[in-house]
Amino acid sequence: MKRLSPLLRAIAGTVLLLTAQADAHHSFAMFDFDKVVTITGTVKEFQWTNPHVVLWVDVPGKDPAKPDQWWLEMTSPGNLTRGGWNRKAFNPGDRVEVELNPLRDGKLGGALIKGTNRTTGQVFSTNLRDMEKPGLK
Amino acid sequence: MRVVLALLELTLLRGASTAVPEAEPLQNPPPRPADWSALSKLPDWSGVWTPFISDQFRRMTADPVPWKPEVARQIAALEAEEKAGRPKGLFVDCLPEGMPAWMLISHNAVEFLFTPGRVTMLGEMDGNRLRRIYTDGRPHPPDPDPTFHGHSTGRWEGQTLIVDTVAVLPQAYIAVSEAVGIPNDGDLHVVERVHLAQKDVLHDDLEIIAPRVLTRPWKTTRIWFRQRARKYDIVEGVCLQGFYAPRTDVAGNAVFAPIPHADGNPVPLAPEEPRR
Repeated sequence: MKRLSPLLRAIAGTVLLLTAQADAHHSFAMFDFDKVVTITGTVKEFQWTNPHVVLWVDVPGKDPAKPDQWWLEMTSPGNLTRGGWNRKAFNPGDRVEVELNPLRDGKLGGALIKGTNRTTGQVFSTNLRDMEKPGLK
Repeated sequence: MRVVLALLELTLLRGASTAVPEAEPLQNPPPRPADWSALSKLPDWSGVWTPFISDQFRRMTADPVPWKPEVARQIAALEAEEKAGRPKGLFVDCLPEGMPAWMLISHNAVEFLFTPGRVTMLGEMDGNRLRRIYTDGRPHPPDPDPTFHGHSTGRWEGQTLIVDTVAVLPQAYIAVSEAVGIPNDGDLHVVERVHLAQKDVLHDDLEIIAPRVLTRPWKTTRIWFRQRARKYDIVEGVCLQGFYAPRTDVAGNAVFAPIPHADGNPVPLAPEEPRR
């Protein structure tokens, strides 16, 4: 079940290979923060590494034998830990629903807003702007 | 006349350096109990400090940098690219942001350590995101090797730490975001006044003197919030690790394998093969 706008679905269908922006310590301007897309799929890999944590999700596409591979980016493990995440938040094979701001160029990637792990029932999201005060719990 | 005197002085100095026995190398003396107890009179900067990111972005328009016209043109082009969703990666090579960019654009936490004669700033990205600020009264060395963070001396003026930084690599950026900035190009000098604006709010008032790229010194402020909850403790963060994925080699060892890139972009990883 994929809740993707028809336009994005069309664009996604034309992309043969997932190519994301350079992954190291970069601006997030390549993501379209005015758009929100929701995908549902299976975790392929959760890279809990600096400078940006990456979640790879397989989403059923046109070709039943070859799922679309989505690349979702977050802030650093340190910042995510402060937001209640941990390295076991997502595991390969987990069923997930992810809300994201998509890449502006239409490729299969985005900035993760909220990740729901349907296998564990846990929900993860974080916004560094929520940490802009002292003495947080 | 002045030139002749200077030459004479130089000749005498040269002569002197061979005539007198070599001076004892400078020593860092062991701290005395009084040096340790003096630390208790310093302001309390303990805890973990998280950056005020919204304020960094607000200042991109509210607190403009006095770029030289030829630099301003480059900055405008970078801003346009970022606005169009094609940000130039200033820091995608995982080299340190350096000074003053680290202070200006960091989205990561920092902490401060006070020891006799020194204040140390530790960032969360890599073991080399650190600043050693010597508060033992030493001057800058006469000709220090340029580094990403430069050479910093500090002195306490009441509850304010005044930091003077020179010898920063000319390649180190003056940046206002991760995609907008310009190398300082040399002769950079940064003066900072770091102080508690409120009990748990730290201000770094920076004066950035960069005659190669700025028309005048740029004064700006960066703000940090104190956290004491243990989950805010700084963790190790190795920037380059993002270029590698944990894999298993043919002998069954846990290894890092480079993530394949095409045209500078990561491409999907093959699923890990089961361990044999």
